[in-house]
Amino acid sequence: MSCGLFPGTAVPPLNLRHRTASPAVPWSVLPLKRNSLRAATLKARAAVEEGGRLGASFYQLLGISEGGSLEEIKRAYKQMARKYHPDVSPPDLAEEYTRRFIEVQEAYETLSDPGRRAMYDRDLARGLQFALSSKRRFDQEFQERSMWKDRWQDQLELLKRKSTYDNSTANLSWGARMRRQRAAGESST
Amino acid sequence: MAALASQMVAHVGASCFFSSRRSGFNAKKQFRVRADGDRKAMIRKENNGWKVDFSGEKPPTPLLDTVNYPIHMKNLSVQDLEQLAAELRADIVYTVSNTGGHLSASLGVVELTVALHHVFNTPDDRIIWDVGHQAYPHKILTGRRSRMHTIRQTSGLAGFPKRDESVYDAFGVGHSSTSISAGLGMAVGRDLLGKKNHVVSVIGDGAMTAGQAYEAMNNSGYLDSNLIVVLNDNKQVSLPTATIDGPATPVGALSGALTKLQASTKFRKLREAAKNITKQIGGPAHEVAAKVDEYARGMISASGSTLFEELGLYYIGPVDGHNVEDLVTIFQKVKAMPAPGPVLIHIVTEKGKGYPPAEAAADKMHGVVKFDPKTGKQFKSKPSALAYTQYFAEALIKEAEVDDKIVAIHAAMGGGTGLNYFQKKFPDRCFDVGIAEQHAVTFAAGLATEGLKPFCAIYSSFLQRGYDQVVHDVDLQKIPVRFALDRAGLVGADGPTHCGAFDITYMACLPNMVVMAPADEAELMHMIATAAAIDDRPSCFRFPRGSGIGVPLPLNNKGIPLEIGKGRILMEGNRVALLGYGSMVQTCVKAADSLRNHGITATVADARFCKPLDAELIRSLANEHEILITVEEGSIGGFGSHVCHFLTLNGLLDKNLKLRSMVLPDRYIDHGSPQDQIEEAGLSSRHISATVLSLLGRPKEALQLQ
Repeated sequence: MSCGLFPGTAVPPLNLRHRTASPAVPWSVLPLKRNSLRAATLKARAAVEEGGRLGASFYQLLGISEGGSLEEIKRAYKQMARKYHPDVSPPDLAEEYTRRFIEVQEAYETLSDPGRRAMYDRDLARGLQFALSSKRRFDQEFQERSMWKDRWQDQLELLKRKSTYDNSTANLSWGARMRRQRAAGESST
Repeated sequence: MAALASQMVAHVGASCFFSSRRSGFNAKKQFRVRADGDRKAMIRKENNGWKVDFSGEKPPTPLLDTVNYPIHMKNLSVQDLEQLAAELRADIVYTVSNTGGHLSASLGVVELTVALHHVFNTPDDRIIWDVGHQAYPHKILTGRRSRMHTIRQTSGLAGFPKRDESVYDAFGVGHSSTSISAGLGMAVGRDLLGKKNHVVSVIGDGAMTAGQAYEAMNNSGYLDSNLIVVLNDNKQVSLPTATIDGPATPVGALSGALTKLQASTKFRKLREAAKNITKQIGGPAHEVAAKVDEYARGMISASGSTLFEELGLYYIGPVDGHNVEDLVTIFQKVKAMPAPGPVLIHIVTEKGKGYPPAEAAADKMHGVVKFDPKTGKQFKSKPSALAYTQYFAEALIKEAEVDDKIVAIHAAMGGGTGLNYFQKKFPDRCFDVGIAEQHAVTFAAGLATEGLKPFCAIYSSFLQRGYDQVVHDVDLQKIPVRFALDRAGLVGADGPTHCGAFDITYMACLPNMVVMAPADEAELMHMIATAAAIDDRPSCFRFPRGSGIGVPLPLNNKGIPLEIGKGRILMEGNRVALLGYGSMVQTCVKAADSLRNHGITATVADARFCKPLDAELIRSLANEHEILITVEEGSIGGFGSHVCHFLTLNGLLDKNLKLRSMVLPDRYIDHGSPQDQIEEAGLSSRHISATVLSLLGRPKEALQLQ
């Protein structure tokens, strides 16, 4: 993707290096955009919700050491899953057990995938209290999703522009021809 | 710099103001449509979304009660639509808990359905649901809510969209990956007729693994007709979406691409720069703007979306598939554009969303029987014998234990074909190719040429998709591929889309194929051993949906190869011979038992092989009896036709034999319970006995049979 789009026009060189997004940048440093503000208030709300459970990391949840191998993780997951599965849980504890089960599943999904586990370990090592299981994922997910919205809004804009000049005679596709015919038919009646 | 800072502050300030005002404004309106003033509502709005209490009773759905057809949704606000989605969820869980059916797929697309029907004007605008098992909310919103309790039952609603059922069902589906093709056809037809409606195809990421989806996208990119394709991505590519041990990892390279699309964190700043450039340049000649946009497009598009872009579809996404506001915005904007061409909107959903037991289950409660809504526990009755699928899996495992050349292939149906068990035992010898039957067949042929022994486990109706590969790649070259055709014959609640009526016909007409069918589960195990032993030509065997009859199994579940082309006689009699093929043999036995009460002792024979036929057996039956009736659960052109052909060629019909072939009738049998379907098809034991009695000149007794 070169920046020299048109020879002769002076396009200022874009210094992007100091702005590369990386997961390690804490929230406070990023420029506050509309979505980030919403993220901050929601984060606070989520923290209140999570207040009950203290910082249990995925490893503590599964009851294994941080250097556990894949076999250990699998075994621990199977044990916990069997214990907390909604089908075998006692009826009065069903809701709590189901919640636990979902957490255990999250833990397994993160730790069994080497890429995700590496990222998780990195954040854990930084001593962030945000290594709360679902809260961290909530943040991560929210960050990803707010970017999604920006992206599809741009895509829609571009499509709208493309769509307005798409019916010009330069476009020779079958669909464009039919649309021109229909437009000509409508304007003549 | 200062200007920039103040601009930013103003922007932030304004947005704060707007967001707080918006929430304050509507705080009063949040509970305006509620069932009961003082009791805590079962469906209520909380801070992070709507919450539904799933109890066993019918949920109060005040807003959903006002919606009978999509036109009633047009004036709802986004908040109302969200409430409607929550009520729909409650309604679906309640309905499916009472009837059984497909649960989690429908739950995942509730917001999508609500958004589509709100924005588009069905039935003029066409919405095509791929596969169709996620169309329950669609049916509820399009005038069929009152009949939802009959879904998948005899004379009730079909489990998949069906054109005969409602004008809102634009296309009949059941097999996957057909929606884009059908949608393109409707779009092109609309263009030729000069109409102005919209066409939307909803396809899942699993269905995207089939070749037909790419054929359709390729063509739609070329034709450039206005078409909206919604790719519903829930990371569930195989069915049911779990192995024995837990969630299945998605197969295929496509899933990786889709994951990359969702997780891309790069290009954010590049995108800002691109936007600035186009803003500075935009305005002048269209061609220049187009070129700039094209370059900018590459920068702002998600990495990995080039797959769809190269096929000619404009990619939008990923979008949160559970956010009604986002979906409505996007659909409205795309609908308003004059010439978008083919557009692909990639939405990300969660299968079973909103119902915690489904979210927690490894297979996401994809297909369920009646269950308890509070806990999600299914009421599975314990049949006396296991399903045929299970026997197949166990016998295949036993064969694979002694012969390490045996491998198994299936097309995204690990649970349905029982090969999940095989995979657990032999993870390196089980191949899930995604929804790609054509590829599965040729892939198996390739494996067989190297000396391996592939067992292709594909449903009878799904193998129709790979038929040319069976003929050309397997049979023509006489390559020893073994086909295990599950769900042969009538299949009950799934209906004609999944009915395996034609496999005897299309397999037995092939010159090199050995075609067999077991009468019970022990025979099934023997036939698996037989198929494993046939190494010089292709072979197949079919077995129905349902459980075995409880016969003693061979030792250790290991079958013994049968002699090819040899049937067996189960009961000796005179005058009347019943020659059954496959599970129909049991029905013949029942008929013979009931005929004994009328003083008739019929011979019951199990043909076992349709190809090669047991010539001796048929000859002896023809020579020693007056009446010969062949019975099979297949269409015309199958076993009965082969027997008839054999008899005519050998002059056995020139004497006094009365021959009748009982086959499935020449029409599609609607969904219903298996007993109802067999009655409808005329293949119950009562029908067989009645046929015998009529032929013997005792029609009055035939009419009086119970």
